[in-house]
Amino acid sequence: MPLQDLLGYFAQLLGGAAITVELAFSGYACALTVGTAWALLRRLDNPVVNAVWRIYASTFMGVPSVLVIFLFYYGGAAIIGGMAELVGLRPRIDVSPFGAGLAALTVVQGAYSAEVIAGAMRNVPRGQFEAARALGIRPHQAWWYVIMPQVARLALPGLTNIWVSVLKDTALVALAGLNEIVARSRTAAGATKEPFLFFIAAALFFIVFSAATLKFSARIERGLDRGIARPVTTGAQA
Amino acid sequence: MKFDPALALRSLPDMLHGLLVTIALAASVVALGLLIAIPLALARNSRHPVLAWSAATYVIVFRGTPAVILLFFVYFGFGQVFGARDGFLGALFSNAFLCAVLGFTLNHSSYVTEIVRGGLLAVPKGLVEAAAALGIEPRDVFLRIRLPLAIRYGLKAYQNEVILFTKATAVVSVITVVDLTSVANNIFYDTYDPFTPLLTAAAFYWVLVNLLRIGLARFDAWLNAHLMADEGHRQVIAVHSTTRAPAPLGPLGEPAQ
Repeated sequence: MPLQDLLGYFAQLLGGAAITVELAFSGYACALTVGTAWALLRRLDNPVVNAVWRIYASTFMGVPSVLVIFLFYYGGAAIIGGMAELVGLRPRIDVSPFGAGLAALTVVQGAYSAEVIAGAMRNVPRGQFEAARALGIRPHQAWWYVIMPQVARLALPGLTNIWVSVLKDTALVALAGLNEIVARSRTAAGATKEPFLFFIAAALFFIVFSAATLKFSARIERGLDRGIARPVTTGAQA
Repeated sequence: MKFDPALALRSLPDMLHGLLVTIALAASVVALGLLIAIPLALARNSRHPVLAWSAATYVIVFRGTPAVILLFFVYFGFGQVFGARDGFLGALFSNAFLCAVLGFTLNHSSYVTEIVRGGLLAVPKGLVEAAAALGIEPRDVFLRIRLPLAIRYGLKAYQNEVILFTKATAVVSVITVVDLTSVANNIFYDTYDPFTPLLTAAAFYWVLVNLLRIGLARFDAWLNAHLMADEGHRQVIAVHSTTRAPAPLGPLGEPAQ
Protein backbone atom coordinates (compact mmCIF):
# COMPACT_ATOMS: atom_id res chain seq x y z
CA MET A 1 0.00 0.00 0.00
CA PRO A 2 1.61 3.30 -1.07
CA LEU A 3 2.31 5.75 1.72
CA GLN A 4 0.14 8.42 0.17
CA ASP A 5 -2.97 6.23 0.37
CA LEU A 6 -2.24 5.39 3.98
CA LEU A 7 -1.91 9.08 4.76
CA GLY A 8 -5.26 9.66 3.07
CA TYR A 9 -6.87 7.13 5.41
CA PHE A 10 -5.20 8.77 8.39
CA ALA A 11 -6.70 12.11 7.31
CA GLN A 12 -10.08 10.33 7.26
CA LEU A 13 -9.40 9.05 10.76
CA LEU A 14 -8.64 12.58 11.93
CA GLY A 15 -11.94 13.80 10.53
CA GLY A 16 -13.65 10.99 12.41
CA ALA A 17 -11.85 12.03 15.59
CA ALA A 18 -13.33 15.53 15.18
CA ILE A 19 -16.84 14.02 15.10
CA THR A 20 -16.05 11.90 18.18
CA VAL A 21 -14.82 14.96 20.07
CA GLU A 22 -17.85 17.00 19.02
CA LEU A 23 -20.23 14.26 20.18
CA ALA A 24 -18.34 13.74 23.44
CA PHE A 25 -18.32 17.43 24.35
CA SER A 26 -21.94 18.07 23.46
CA GLY A 27 -23.04 14.82 25.12
CA TYR A 28 -21.14 15.68 28.30
CA ALA A 29 -22.57 19.21 28.41
CA CYS A 30 -26.13 17.91 27.96
CA ALA A 31 -25.60 15.12 30.52
CA LEU A 32 -24.31 17.59 33.10
CA THR A 33 -27.28 19.87 32.50
CA VAL A 34 -29.75 17.00 32.89
CA GLY A 35 -27.83 15.68 35.90
CA THR A 36 -27.82 19.05 37.67
CA ALA A 37 -31.52 19.53 36.96
CA TRP A 38 -32.34 16.08 38.42
CA ALA A 39 -30.12 16.67 41.45
CA LEU A 40 -31.90 19.97 42.18
CA LEU A 41 -35.33 18.45 41.56
CA ARG A 42 -34.61 15.61 43.95
CA ARG A 43 -33.87 18.13 46.70
CA LEU A 44 -37.54 19.15 46.57
CA ASP A 45 -38.27 15.78 48.19
CA ASN A 46 -41.52 15.63 46.28
CA PRO A 47 -42.93 12.06 46.18
CA VAL A 48 -43.99 12.33 42.52
CA VAL A 49 -40.61 13.70 41.44
CA ASN A 50 -38.84 11.00 43.43
CA ALA A 51 -40.96 8.26 41.89
CA VAL A 52 -40.27 9.53 38.37
CA TRP A 53 -36.57 9.75 39.17
CA ARG A 54 -36.49 6.16 40.41
CA ILE A 55 -38.11 4.84 37.26
CA TYR A 56 -35.87 6.97 35.05
CA ALA A 57 -32.64 6.06 36.84
CA SER A 58 -33.41 2.37 37.22
CA THR A 59 -34.38 2.10 33.54
CA PHE A 60 -31.40 3.85 32.02
CA MET A 61 -28.84 2.44 34.45
CA GLY A 62 -30.18 -1.10 34.02
CA VAL A 63 -30.13 -1.22 30.23
CA PRO A 64 -27.12 -1.14 27.83
CA SER A 65 -26.40 2.27 26.26
CA VAL A 66 -26.29 0.67 22.81
CA LEU A 67 -29.88 -0.42 23.17
CA VAL A 68 -30.89 3.14 24.07
CA ILE A 69 -29.00 4.44 21.05
CA PHE A 70 -30.80 1.95 18.77
CA LEU A 71 -34.14 2.79 20.33
CA PHE A 72 -33.66 6.51 19.67
CA TYR A 73 -32.23 5.95 16.20
CA TYR A 74 -34.87 3.53 14.92
CA GLY A 75 -37.75 4.82 16.98
CA GLY A 76 -36.83 8.47 17.49
CA ALA A 77 -38.96 9.75 14.64
CA ALA A 78 -41.99 7.88 15.96
CA ILE A 79 -41.36 9.07 19.53
CA ILE A 80 -41.06 12.74 18.54
CA GLY A 81 -43.93 12.40 16.05
CA GLY A 82 -46.14 10.88 18.74
CA MET A 83 -45.35 13.70 21.14
CA ALA A 84 -45.89 16.38 18.47
CA GLU A 85 -49.24 14.85 17.60
CA LEU A 86 -50.40 15.45 21.16
CA VAL A 87 -50.08 19.20 20.56
CA GLY A 88 -51.59 18.89 17.08
CA LEU A 89 -48.43 19.07 14.96
CA ARG A 90 -47.39 16.68 12.20
CA PRO A 91 -43.77 17.45 11.50
CA ARG A 92 -41.55 15.38 9.20
CA ILE A 93 -38.60 14.23 11.24
CA ASP A 94 -35.40 12.45 10.36
CA VAL A 95 -33.25 11.31 13.25
CA SER A 96 -29.55 11.33 12.43
CA PRO A 97 -27.13 8.89 14.09
CA PHE A 98 -25.47 11.90 15.75
CA GLY A 99 -28.79 13.15 17.13
CA ALA A 100 -29.77 9.69 18.40
CA GLY A 101 -26.34 9.24 19.98
CA LEU A 102 -26.47 12.65 21.62
CA ALA A 103 -29.95 12.02 23.03
CA ALA A 104 -28.93 8.57 24.33
CA LEU A 105 -25.72 9.83 25.94
CA THR A 106 -27.71 12.65 27.54
CA VAL A 107 -30.35 10.47 29.18
CA VAL A 108 -28.01 7.64 30.21
CA GLN A 109 -25.07 9.69 31.46
CA GLY A 110 -27.49 12.29 32.82
CA ALA A 111 -28.72 9.65 35.27
CA TYR A 112 -25.17 8.83 36.41
CA SER A 113 -24.28 12.55 36.66
CA ALA A 114 -27.39 13.20 38.75
CA GLU A 115 -26.18 10.55 41.22
CA VAL A 116 -22.75 12.17 41.49
CA ILE A 117 -24.08 15.74 41.78
CA ALA A 118 -26.82 14.83 44.26
CA GLY A 119 -24.20 13.02 46.36
CA ALA A 120 -21.97 16.09 46.28
CA MET A 121 -24.89 18.31 47.33
CA ARG A 122 -25.59 16.00 50.27
CA ASN A 123 -21.96 16.30 51.33
CA VAL A 124 -21.91 20.10 51.50
CA PRO A 125 -21.96 20.74 55.27
CA ARG A 126 -25.31 21.91 56.55
CA GLY A 127 -23.57 24.81 58.27
CA GLN A 128 -22.90 26.33 54.86
CA PHE A 129 -26.61 26.59 54.10
CA GLU A 130 -27.33 27.92 57.57
CA ALA A 131 -24.50 30.44 57.44
CA ALA A 132 -25.67 31.74 54.06
CA ARG A 133 -29.13 32.20 55.50
CA ALA A 134 -27.84 33.83 58.64
CA LEU A 135 -25.89 36.31 56.52
CA GLY A 136 -29.11 37.23 54.73
CA ILE A 137 -27.96 35.96 51.31
CA ARG A 138 -30.95 35.28 49.07
CA PRO A 139 -31.52 31.56 48.37
CA HIS A 140 -30.71 31.64 44.65
CA GLN A 141 -27.62 33.73 45.27
CA ALA A 142 -26.55 31.40 48.05
CA TRP A 143 -26.87 28.48 45.66
CA TRP A 144 -24.91 30.19 42.94
CA TYR A 145 -22.11 31.77 44.99
CA VAL A 146 -21.84 29.57 48.09
CA ILE A 147 -23.20 26.06 47.52
CA MET A 148 -22.54 25.29 43.85
CA PRO A 149 -18.79 26.06 43.96
CA GLN A 150 -18.50 23.55 46.79
CA VAL A 151 -20.67 21.04 44.95
CA ALA A 152 -18.36 21.40 41.94
CA ARG A 153 -15.35 20.60 44.08
CA LEU A 154 -16.94 17.56 45.67
CA ALA A 155 -18.41 16.24 42.41
CA LEU A 156 -15.29 16.67 40.29
CA PRO A 157 -13.74 13.19 40.70
CA GLY A 158 -17.03 11.49 39.87
CA LEU A 159 -17.73 13.83 36.97
CA THR A 160 -14.27 13.11 35.56
CA ASN A 161 -15.11 9.39 35.56
CA ILE A 162 -18.31 10.23 33.71
CA TRP A 163 -16.42 12.26 31.14
CA VAL A 164 -14.18 9.29 30.39
CA SER A 165 -17.17 6.98 29.98
CA VAL A 166 -18.94 9.53 27.75
CA LEU A 167 -15.85 9.68 25.55
CA LYS A 168 -15.71 5.90 25.26
CA ASP A 169 -19.46 5.56 24.81
CA THR A 170 -19.27 7.68 21.65
CA ALA A 171 -17.75 4.57 20.05
CA LEU A 172 -21.13 2.85 20.48
CA VAL A 173 -22.82 5.34 18.17
CA ALA A 174 -20.75 3.84 15.35
CA LEU A 175 -23.19 0.90 15.59
CA ALA A 176 -26.02 3.23 14.58
CA GLY A 177 -23.99 4.31 11.56
CA LEU A 178 -22.22 7.44 12.82
CA ASN A 179 -19.05 7.78 10.76
CA GLU A 180 -16.74 8.65 13.66
CA ILE A 181 -13.20 7.50 14.36
CA VAL A 182 -14.03 3.85 15.21
CA ALA A 183 -16.21 3.37 12.13
CA ARG A 184 -13.55 4.98 9.93
CA SER A 185 -10.76 2.85 11.41
CA ARG A 186 -12.83 -0.21 10.50
CA THR A 187 -13.29 1.04 6.94
CA ALA A 188 -9.60 1.88 6.59
CA ALA A 189 -8.58 -1.48 8.05
CA GLY A 190 -10.82 -3.32 5.60
CA ALA A 191 -9.70 -1.35 2.55
CA THR A 192 -5.95 -1.38 3.23
CA LYS A 193 -5.68 -4.84 4.85
CA GLU A 194 -3.71 -3.10 7.61
CA PRO A 195 -5.97 -3.71 10.60
CA PHE A 196 -3.39 -3.27 13.34
CA LEU A 197 -2.21 0.11 12.10
CA PHE A 198 -5.62 1.76 12.09
CA PHE A 199 -7.08 0.07 15.16
CA ILE A 200 -3.98 1.00 17.19
CA ALA A 201 -4.25 4.58 15.91
CA ALA A 202 -7.91 4.78 16.98
CA ALA A 203 -7.11 3.19 20.37
CA LEU A 204 -4.25 5.65 20.91
CA PHE A 205 -6.61 8.53 20.23
CA PHE A 206 -8.88 7.43 23.08
CA ILE A 207 -6.01 6.64 25.46
CA VAL A 208 -4.20 9.93 24.85
CA PHE A 209 -7.35 12.01 24.90
CA SER A 210 -8.62 10.56 28.18
CA ALA A 211 -5.14 10.78 29.76
CA ALA A 212 -4.97 14.45 28.76
CA THR A 213 -8.36 15.19 30.29
CA LEU A 214 -7.39 13.35 33.48
CA LYS A 215 -4.34 15.63 33.76
CA PHE A 216 -6.55 18.63 33.13
CA SER A 217 -9.08 17.54 35.75
CA ALA A 218 -6.29 16.97 38.30
CA ARG A 219 -5.23 20.56 37.71
CA ILE A 220 -8.77 21.87 38.20
CA GLU A 221 -9.03 19.74 41.31
CA ARG A 222 -5.89 21.34 42.73
CA GLY A 223 -7.36 24.77 41.97
CA LEU A 224 -10.66 23.97 43.66
CA ASP A 225 -8.90 22.41 46.65
CA ARG A 226 -7.01 25.61 47.45
CA GLY A 227 -7.63 26.65 51.02
CA ILE A 228 -8.96 23.26 52.02
CA ALA A 229 -6.96 20.96 54.25
CA ARG A 230 -6.12 17.62 52.74
CA PRO A 231 -7.89 14.81 54.55
CA VAL A 232 -5.65 12.94 56.96
CA THR A 233 -4.73 9.73 55.19
CA THR A 234 -5.80 6.66 57.12
CA GLY A 235 -4.79 3.08 56.68
CA ALA A 236 -7.47 2.82 54.02
CA GLN A 237 -5.51 4.92 51.57
CA ALA A 238 -1.94 4.25 52.65
CA MET B 1 -45.11 4.06 18.76
CA LYS B 2 -46.72 0.96 20.14
CA PHE B 3 -45.81 -2.35 21.73
CA ASP B 4 -46.99 -5.48 19.92
CA PRO B 5 -47.42 -8.28 22.52
CA ALA B 6 -48.01 -10.94 19.84
CA LEU B 7 -44.68 -10.14 18.18
CA ALA B 8 -42.94 -10.10 21.57
CA LEU B 9 -44.36 -13.53 22.36
CA ARG B 10 -43.39 -14.89 18.94
CA SER B 11 -39.81 -13.65 19.29
CA LEU B 12 -39.40 -15.05 22.80
CA PRO B 13 -37.49 -18.24 21.81
CA ASP B 14 -34.98 -16.24 19.74
CA MET B 15 -34.66 -13.67 22.52
CA LEU B 16 -33.99 -16.34 25.12
CA HIS B 17 -31.33 -17.85 22.90
CA GLY B 18 -29.72 -14.42 22.55
CA LEU B 19 -29.92 -13.94 26.31
CA LEU B 20 -28.15 -17.26 26.79
CA VAL B 21 -25.32 -16.11 24.51
CA THR B 22 -25.05 -12.85 26.47
CA ILE B 23 -24.91 -14.73 29.78
CA ALA B 24 -22.37 -17.27 28.50
CA LEU B 25 -20.19 -14.44 27.19
CA ALA B 26 -20.41 -12.38 30.37
CA ALA B 27 -19.81 -15.40 32.63
CA SER B 28 -16.71 -16.55 30.72
CA VAL B 29 -15.25 -13.04 30.73
CA VAL B 30 -15.96 -12.48 34.42
CA ALA B 31 -14.25 -15.78 35.32
CA LEU B 32 -11.23 -15.18 33.06
CA GLY B 33 -11.01 -11.55 34.14
CA LEU B 34 -10.72 -12.44 37.80
CA LEU B 35 -8.17 -15.14 37.02
CA ILE B 36 -5.95 -12.66 35.17
CA ALA B 37 -6.57 -9.68 37.44
CA ILE B 38 -5.16 -11.18 40.64
CA PRO B 39 -1.63 -11.86 39.30
CA LEU B 40 -1.75 -8.53 37.42
CA ALA B 41 -2.67 -6.64 40.58
CA LEU B 42 0.22 -8.34 42.39
CA ALA B 43 2.54 -7.40 39.53
CA ARG B 44 1.31 -3.84 39.67
CA ASN B 45 2.07 -3.66 43.40
CA SER B 46 5.40 -5.42 42.91
CA ARG B 47 8.70 -3.76 43.78
CA HIS B 48 10.17 -5.19 40.61
CA PRO B 49 10.07 -2.23 38.17
CA VAL B 50 9.67 -4.32 35.00
CA LEU B 51 6.71 -6.21 36.44
CA ALA B 52 5.11 -3.08 37.84
CA TRP B 53 5.51 -1.14 34.63
CA SER B 54 4.27 -3.82 32.29
CA ALA B 55 1.19 -4.37 34.45
CA ALA B 56 0.59 -0.60 34.59
CA THR B 57 0.89 -0.36 30.81
CA TYR B 58 -1.57 -3.24 30.39
CA VAL B 59 -4.08 -1.39 32.56
CA ILE B 60 -3.63 1.98 30.83
CA VAL B 61 -3.91 0.53 27.32
CA PHE B 62 -6.84 -1.84 27.80
CA ARG B 63 -8.80 0.33 30.18
CA GLY B 64 -8.44 3.38 27.95
CA THR B 65 -9.55 1.67 24.73
CA PRO B 66 -13.27 1.31 23.99
CA ALA B 67 -14.37 -2.33 23.89
CA VAL B 68 -15.50 -2.01 20.25
CA ILE B 69 -11.94 -1.29 19.13
CA LEU B 70 -10.60 -4.22 21.14
CA LEU B 71 -13.17 -6.51 19.50
CA PHE B 72 -12.19 -5.23 16.05
CA PHE B 73 -8.55 -5.64 16.95
CA VAL B 74 -8.93 -9.27 17.97
CA TYR B 75 -11.45 -10.35 15.34
CA PHE B 76 -10.35 -8.43 12.26
CA GLY B 77 -6.69 -8.00 13.25
CA PHE B 78 -5.58 -11.33 14.68
CA GLY B 79 -8.41 -13.05 12.84
CA GLN B 80 -6.89 -11.99 9.53
CA VAL B 81 -3.43 -13.18 10.52
CA PHE B 82 -4.29 -16.47 12.23
CA GLY B 83 -7.88 -17.17 11.21
CA ALA B 84 -7.10 -19.23 8.12
CA ARG B 85 -4.41 -21.32 9.81
CA ASP B 86 -4.83 -24.73 11.33
CA GLY B 87 -4.25 -25.53 14.96
CA PHE B 88 -5.13 -23.76 18.16
CA LEU B 89 -4.67 -20.15 17.06
CA GLY B 90 -6.65 -20.71 13.88
CA ALA B 91 -9.50 -22.27 15.81
CA LEU B 92 -9.43 -19.46 18.34
CA PHE B 93 -9.38 -16.51 15.97
CA SER B 94 -11.84 -17.86 13.41
CA ASN B 95 -14.49 -18.24 16.13
CA ALA B 96 -16.29 -14.94 16.74
CA PHE B 97 -17.51 -15.93 20.20
CA LEU B 98 -14.00 -16.81 21.40
CA CYS B 99 -12.71 -13.56 19.89
CA ALA B 100 -15.38 -11.69 21.83
CA VAL B 101 -14.37 -13.45 25.05
CA LEU B 102 -10.74 -12.50 24.43
CA GLY B 103 -11.46 -8.88 23.49
CA PHE B 104 -13.76 -8.25 26.44
CA THR B 105 -11.40 -10.04 28.83
CA LEU B 106 -8.60 -7.60 27.95
CA ASN B 107 -10.92 -4.70 28.81
CA HIS B 108 -12.64 -6.15 31.87
CA SER B 109 -9.50 -7.58 33.48
CA SER B 110 -7.78 -4.19 33.41
CA TYR B 111 -10.62 -2.67 35.44
CA VAL B 112 -10.66 -5.60 37.85
CA THR B 113 -6.88 -5.33 38.28
CA GLU B 114 -7.29 -1.82 39.62
CA ILE B 115 -10.07 -2.90 41.95
CA VAL B 116 -8.07 -5.84 43.33
CA ARG B 117 -5.04 -3.59 43.71
CA GLY B 118 -7.10 -0.99 45.56
CA GLY B 119 -8.47 -3.69 47.85
CA LEU B 120 -5.02 -5.11 48.58
CA LEU B 121 -3.62 -1.65 49.32
CA ALA B 122 -6.51 -0.99 51.68
CA VAL B 123 -5.58 -3.87 53.99
CA PRO B 124 -4.10 -2.14 57.05
CA LYS B 125 -0.32 -2.57 57.15
CA GLY B 126 -0.41 -3.43 60.82
CA LEU B 127 -2.39 -6.59 60.14
CA VAL B 128 0.21 -7.89 57.70
CA GLU B 129 3.03 -6.96 60.08
CA ALA B 130 1.25 -8.62 62.98
CA ALA B 131 0.76 -11.77 60.91
CA ALA B 132 4.45 -11.79 60.02
CA ALA B 133 5.38 -11.22 63.66
CA LEU B 134 3.28 -14.24 64.62
CA GLY B 135 5.39 -16.30 62.26
CA ILE B 136 2.67 -17.00 59.69
CA GLU B 137 4.16 -17.95 56.35
CA PRO B 138 4.07 -15.22 53.66
CA ARG B 139 1.86 -17.40 51.44
CA ASP B 140 -0.67 -17.87 54.21
CA VAL B 141 -0.54 -14.18 55.08
CA PHE B 142 -1.60 -13.49 51.52
CA LEU B 143 -4.19 -16.24 51.07
CA ARG B 144 -5.75 -16.12 54.52
CA ILE B 145 -5.40 -12.51 55.60
CA ARG B 146 -4.74 -10.05 52.78
CA LEU B 147 -6.83 -11.61 50.01
CA PRO B 148 -10.00 -12.26 52.05
CA LEU B 149 -9.91 -8.68 53.33
CA ALA B 150 -9.12 -7.25 49.90
CA ILE B 151 -12.14 -9.07 48.48
CA ARG B 152 -14.35 -7.52 51.15
CA TYR B 153 -12.96 -4.03 50.57
CA GLY B 154 -13.20 -4.20 46.79
CA LEU B 155 -16.55 -5.94 46.38
CA LYS B 156 -18.66 -2.79 45.91
CA ALA B 157 -16.42 -1.49 43.15
CA TYR B 158 -16.33 -4.98 41.64
CA GLN B 159 -20.11 -5.19 41.64
CA ASN B 160 -20.31 -1.93 39.68
CA GLU B 161 -17.73 -3.13 37.19
CA VAL B 162 -19.43 -6.50 36.61
CA ILE B 163 -22.75 -4.76 35.94
CA LEU B 164 -21.26 -2.13 33.63
CA PHE B 165 -19.35 -4.81 31.79
CA THR B 166 -22.44 -7.03 31.39
CA LYS B 167 -24.22 -4.11 29.74
CA ALA B 168 -21.15 -3.40 27.61
CA THR B 169 -21.42 -6.88 26.01
CA ALA B 170 -24.33 -5.49 23.99
CA VAL B 171 -21.89 -4.23 21.32
CA VAL B 172 -20.71 -7.73 20.51
CA SER B 173 -22.78 -7.88 17.31
CA VAL B 174 -20.04 -5.79 15.60
CA ILE B 175 -18.07 -9.02 15.26
CA THR B 176 -21.10 -11.12 14.21
CA VAL B 177 -21.89 -12.75 17.57
CA VAL B 178 -25.67 -13.05 17.85
CA ASP B 179 -26.41 -11.89 21.40
CA LEU B 180 -29.61 -10.45 22.88
CA THR B 181 -29.18 -7.00 21.32
CA SER B 182 -28.36 -8.54 17.99
CA VAL B 183 -31.52 -10.69 18.07
CA ALA B 184 -33.61 -7.59 18.83
CA ASN B 185 -31.96 -5.75 15.95
CA ASN B 186 -32.65 -8.57 13.53
CA ILE B 187 -36.32 -8.59 14.50
CA PHE B 188 -36.41 -4.85 13.84
CA TYR B 189 -34.94 -5.37 10.36
CA ASP B 190 -37.55 -8.04 9.64
CA THR B 191 -40.59 -6.21 10.97
CA TYR B 192 -39.64 -2.50 10.97
CA ASP B 193 -41.12 -2.34 14.46
CA PRO B 194 -38.38 -0.78 16.63
CA PHE B 195 -40.24 -0.66 19.94
CA THR B 196 -41.36 -4.23 20.51
CA PRO B 197 -38.03 -6.06 20.07
CA LEU B 198 -35.86 -3.36 21.64
CA LEU B 199 -38.09 -2.90 24.67
CA THR B 200 -38.36 -6.67 25.14
CA ALA B 201 -34.57 -6.98 25.03
CA ALA B 202 -34.28 -4.02 27.40
CA ALA B 203 -36.56 -5.78 29.87
CA PHE B 204 -34.36 -8.90 29.76
CA TYR B 205 -31.22 -6.82 30.37
CA TRP B 206 -32.88 -4.98 33.20
CA VAL B 207 -33.81 -8.20 34.96
CA LEU B 208 -30.34 -9.68 34.39
CA VAL B 209 -28.60 -6.56 35.72
CA ASN B 210 -30.81 -6.38 38.79
CA LEU B 211 -30.42 -10.07 39.57
CA LEU B 212 -26.66 -9.61 39.38
CA ARG B 213 -26.81 -6.57 41.61
CA ILE B 214 -28.99 -8.22 44.23
CA GLY B 215 -26.88 -11.39 44.16
CA LEU B 216 -23.61 -9.52 44.63
CA ALA B 217 -25.12 -7.30 47.33
CA ARG B 218 -26.26 -10.43 49.20
CA PHE B 219 -22.78 -11.93 48.90
CA ASP B 220 -21.35 -8.67 50.22
CA ALA B 221 -23.73 -8.63 53.17
CA TRP B 222 -22.90 -12.27 53.90
CA LEU B 223 -19.14 -11.62 53.86
CA ASN B 224 -19.45 -8.52 56.01
CA ALA B 225 -22.18 -9.53 58.43
CA HIS B 226 -19.73 -8.92 61.29
CA LEU B 227 -18.73 -5.37 60.38
CA MET B 228 -21.72 -3.59 58.97
CA ALA B 229 -20.67 -0.61 61.12
CA ASP B 230 -17.44 -0.14 59.19
CA GLU B 231 -19.06 1.09 55.97
CA GLY B 232 -16.93 4.24 55.72
CA HIS B 233 -13.76 2.28 55.33
CA ARG B 234 -15.05 0.37 52.30
CA GLN B 235 -16.56 3.44 50.68
CA VAL B 236 -13.05 4.90 50.43
CA ILE B 237 -12.01 2.00 48.21
CA ALA B 238 -15.10 2.24 46.06
CA VAL B 239 -14.16 5.84 45.34
CA HIS B 240 -10.41 5.38 44.99
CA SER B 241 -10.25 2.41 42.66
CA THR B 242 -11.43 4.19 39.57
CA THR B 243 -14.55 2.50 38.33
CA ARG B 244 -16.14 3.20 34.97
CA ALA B 245 -18.96 5.18 36.46
CA PRO B 246 -20.54 5.93 39.81
CA ALA B 247 -22.46 3.38 41.80
CA PRO B 248 -25.79 2.12 40.46
CA LEU B 249 -28.97 2.42 42.42
CA GLY B 250 -30.24 0.18 45.17
CA PRO B 251 -33.37 -2.00 44.88
CA LEU B 252 -35.78 0.93 45.15
CA GLY B 253 -33.63 3.40 43.28
CA GLU B 254 -31.89 4.79 46.33
CA PRO B 255 -28.12 5.27 46.08
CA ALA B 256 -26.32 2.09 47.03
CA GLN B 257 -24.10 3.87 49.65
